[in-house]
Amino acid sequence: MRILIVEDEAELQRQLAERLKSAGYVVDVAKDGEEGLYYGREYDYEAAVVDLGLPKLGGLELIRRLRSADRRFPVLILTARGNWQDKVEGLEAGADDYLTKPFQMEELQARLNALVRRAAGYASPVIGSGAIALDTAKKEVRLHDDPIELTAYEYRVLEYLMLNPGRVVSKTELTDHIYEQDFDRDSNVIEVFVGRLRKKLDPLNPIRTVRGQGYRFTPEGNV
Amino acid sequence: MKPGIQSRLLVTTTLVLGVSLTLAALVLDRSFRMSTLAGAEEQLRLVTYSLMGAVDTAGPGVAVPDPLPEPRLDQPESGLYASISARDGSILWRSPSALTDGVTPVASDLQPGEFRFSGGPAGPANLLHLSYAVIWEDAQESVLAFHVAADWAPFGAVVQSFRRNLYLGVGAVTALFLLAQILAVRWALRPLRTMAQEVREMEEGRRERLSSAYPSELTGLADNLDRFVAHEERSRSRYRKAMEDLAHSLKTPLAVVRNAIEEVPDESRALLQEQLDRMQSTVTHQLSRASLAGPVIVGRPVDVAALVERLVRALQTAYRDKDVQVSVQLAQPIQVRGDERDLMEILGNLLENAFKYTHSRVRVSGQSGDAGGRLTIRVDDDGPGIPREVREVVLNRGTRADELHPGHGIGLAVVAELVGLYGGKLGIGESDLGGARLQLELP
Repeated sequence: MRILIVEDEAELQRQLAERLKSAGYVVDVAKDGEEGLYYGREYDYEAAVVDLGLPKLGGLELIRRLRSADRRFPVLILTARGNWQDKVEGLEAGADDYLTKPFQMEELQARLNALVRRAAGYASPVIGSGAIALDTAKKEVRLHDDPIELTAYEYRVLEYLMLNPGRVVSKTELTDHIYEQDFDRDSNVIEVFVGRLRKKLDPLNPIRTVRGQGYRFTPEGNV
Repeated sequence: MKPGIQSRLLVTTTLVLGVSLTLAALVLDRSFRMSTLAGAEEQLRLVTYSLMGAVDTAGPGVAVPDPLPEPRLDQPESGLYASISARDGSILWRSPSALTDGVTPVASDLQPGEFRFSGGPAGPANLLHLSYAVIWEDAQESVLAFHVAADWAPFGAVVQSFRRNLYLGVGAVTALFLLAQILAVRWALRPLRTMAQEVREMEEGRRERLSSAYPSELTGLADNLDRFVAHEERSRSRYRKAMEDLAHSLKTPLAVVRNAIEEVPDESRALLQEQLDRMQSTVTHQLSRASLAGPVIVGRPVDVAALVERLVRALQTAYRDKDVQVSVQLAQPIQVRGDERDLMEILGNLLENAFKYTHSRVRVSGQSGDAGGRLTIRVDDDGPGIPREVREVVLNRGTRADELHPGHGIGLAVVAELVGLYGGKLGIGESDLGGARLQLELP
């Protein structure tokens, strides 16, 4: 899952990025509003963390422009001033939640998870139906209530597909949401991950190949 | 209360006007009486002279031939009387109009050639007297005294009528002057009333600044007032900006430190964590407090319903997962005089508290009090309620900010403080929905 962080304070930016990376997210960072707007327009994200007090282009304006460019991913705003004027204006500009600095990293991560889940239409941290249950909070997958072992990349592929059930997801899109930007990409690796996942989920076969287009997750394994 | 400018001016003018016009009336009245008396004396003197011209002393005693020089002397009780007496006081002649001697008393010490005038309204029988003694050279150089008396009544009537007219006139002039004075004062003071009205409109936010149409004596005051109001607004926003910058520059490093602490070895982490919590509480609490504007001199009335609607919509977004049912029951349009952002802090914290702890239902109700009464806003939820010890901490103003743990009632403590600043009260109780009821009372 790909997350955009727009924060001008270098150290906080680094901490946020490291924390979210170690939690399994793919993270892009921007140090001001203009850079944030560029990333937000160029790439597709599962969520963004936006500080309100940004140089060049303020956080409020950044959110407004992203929304008017039809970017619908959830946005969590960080505000240092912590007053209601900021919070309300931020939410009215199109943000989805707010957090007042200083905050706990656990809190931020929980809010982000909730936002991503909510955007995918799930109310609880455990998504999936029937036999496969994926816990986005614990990063854990259960098959018929038994935990199965997945590598970090396998988990990311499955999570992304499950957050977009019934939709055809191309290999490029999967790559974008799974790898860091500067990572040496090879879409053939995706095929390897999907193959391993299918083995681990056997006898279910929820991941279908749509020839020439990509993959589709169908919960009950039927076409 | 000190007497108003209008009454000061009116009282002074009335006193000065009353005293001076009364004095003038008295002088006029006195002069007129004196001139009336002088005229009467002159008339009596003329009667005396004509009597002297007609007297015949050829025979025994004194005779006055018919007809008498003044016809009224012939008519009894006509109001004009005359007599002639000898030196020893014996009456030699009496006009037919005088039925008794007493009408024209005889002054015995009268020297020849001397006129003596006496009487007036206070004299005996209301008569005016004039006596004149003369050495009569025709016969034996005897001394004759002529006495003439006249009724005061006709003269008195003239004086009375003059006096009546005088007082009527003076009264009318006084009334006219006072009326003119009242009008002049009202006219002169109208700019002050206009200014008071305009200042009231500024307070209520219906006017940006005073109009410039003031007389020269007031333009200085009006300009200063405008400058003062503008300065107040400017310094309020400058102060707030400074506080927000301070908040930003303190809280971002705090966030960094808080995150960095997680990498510190366990034994020192607890201590650092605790100290950091205290710092965070203090910074959050003090900065929230400091950036509150408090009651404002001028400000638009804030529409509570609109504000609640905005906040509820924002909170519904942030708490979308919770599916909170909010009902807003405001009896009538409620308006609060104050800083909109302050009110937003108050209501925002109350509503966030409700959204955070509710299971599914939140109710906002309120009514503006009756005439001069306080306005009440209640926020109810169906959550677990607020424990007693937290209520006490929140409402106890003596509590130090760093005794509150982060997220543990700091928001409500700030609300309590802000409400206090506005002269209102925050109450915490149980709701009929089953959770907490936060009740706000504002003057």
